[in-house]
Amino acid sequence: MTPDRGLLVDLVRCPSPSGEEGPAVAYLVDWMREHGFAAHVDEAGNAVGVRGPADAPHTLMLLGHIDTVPGVIPVRVADGVLYGRGSVDAKGSLCAFAAAAAGASPSDGWRVIVAGAVEEEAPTSKGAHAIRERYRPDLCIIGEPSGADRITLGYKGHLLLDYTLTRPLAHTSRPEPSVAARGAAFWSAILDWAAAQNAGAGRSFDEVAPHLRAINTDSDGLRETVRLTVGFRLPPRLAPEDVVAAVTPLAEPDATLHAYSTARAYLGEKNNALVRGMLAAIRAGGGRPGFVLKGGTSDMNVVGAAWGCPIVAYGPGDSALDHTPDEHLPLDEYDAAIRTLRHLIAHLPDRGAG
Amino acid sequence: MQAECVECGAVIEVPEDVMQGEILPCADCGVELEVIALEPLALDLAPLEMEDWGE
Repeated sequence: MTPDRGLLVDLVRCPSPSGEEGPAVAYLVDWMREHGFAAHVDEAGNAVGVRGPADAPHTLMLLGHIDTVPGVIPVRVADGVLYGRGSVDAKGSLCAFAAAAAGASPSDGWRVIVAGAVEEEAPTSKGAHAIRERYRPDLCIIGEPSGADRITLGYKGHLLLDYTLTRPLAHTSRPEPSVAARGAAFWSAILDWAAAQNAGAGRSFDEVAPHLRAINTDSDGLRETVRLTVGFRLPPRLAPEDVVAAVTPLAEPDATLHAYSTARAYLGEKNNALVRGMLAAIRAGGGRPGFVLKGGTSDMNVVGAAWGCPIVAYGPGDSALDHTPDEHLPLDEYDAAIRTLRHLIAHLPDRGAG
Repeated sequence: MQAECVECGAVIEVPEDVMQGEILPCADCGVELEVIALEPLALDLAPLEMEDWGE
C-alpha cells in the first residue's frame, strides 16, 4: 500500500456523513500538517491546508468535500479496487488533491489550498459557503468524480418544490375531483410545461428535468390533503425563481407552494488557463482528455458565479456510483488522478488565471 | 502561423501567442481543435462534451 493510497483508505474508513465530519476532518488536518501544509479546522468545520507561501499572489483552490451520504459499506480493497462509502463521492477526489499538493512544489507565485468541505451532501452546503466568503482564488478545481481523463465543465441547477392542497371532504360519488386528482393534475401540468420548455434543446444539459419525488394524501375526517414534492434539474437559462414563477399559476389558487434546496446551474469556460493546464496534464500522463457536463449539483454551483474564476471539477471514479451501495474506486485511477494534478500544480501559469 | 484542420483540411490562422491546450474553432467545418503541441505546432480534435449523471 503506497502512502497516497493509505491516506484514502484511512479516510474512507473514517465515517463522515453530513454533520458528523469531525473525526475525518481531524484526520485529514493531521495528515496535511505531517506533509508540509499549514493546516487547520476553520470556523465551519472544514479541513483546510495551504501549500506554498501564505502571501503568494496567486491561489489554486482545490475544493473537495469530506462528508458523504449515509449508509455503511464495509471498507475493503480487492483486486486493486477500494470499496466503501465515500470512496467515489468524493474522498477519492479530496485525497487526490491532498496527495498531489503534498507531492508537488507549486509554481512560483502560487499557493495551493486544499479544502475538505463539510455538508456538501446536505442542502446547507455549509462548508462551501464558508470557503466562498473567505477566499478569492485565481483558479479552482472542485473535487468530484469525473474519471481521471475527463474534466467536468458544469453542473445543472436544482430546485425542490413542495405543493400542498387541502379541501373539505366530500362523498366520492360527487363529480368534483379529489385533492389527489388535483395534485396529479398539477404534476401533469408541470410535465407539459417542461416539454414546452425543452422543445429544441439539443442536449440534456439544456433541458429542465422535473421529477416527482413524493405524492401522499391524508385525511382528518373533515378535510383531505395532498402533498407533492417535485424536484427540478435546471439548465443554465432557468434560475430556480424563474421556475417557481412559471409553475405557480399551474397550481390551484388555494394550494401552497414552498421552494427550497435551490441552486443555479453553472457552466464554466473551456478556453482558459485552468482547462489548458488540465488538458496538458492529462495528455502528459498518456490519457486522452474529455469534457463532461453533469446532471447533478456540486459545490461548483455554490462558488462558481461568486468567484468568477476559471473552474472545473475533477476527480477519479465513476459518478454513476455516487450514493449507491456499490460505491467503489479503482486505485490505479486514483493514482492517475494524482499524477495529473501534480503535473498541473507544477506547471501553473506565470501570470495567474490568464 | 497557419495550421491545417484535422477534420476538413481547411487552413487555420493561428495567433502567434497561441498556448498549448488552447481550443480553436475551424471556421470551415465548425469543429473545435486543441493545440496539443507548440514546437512543432500540432492540432487535434478538441475533447467532445459528454453528459453524465451524478455529481
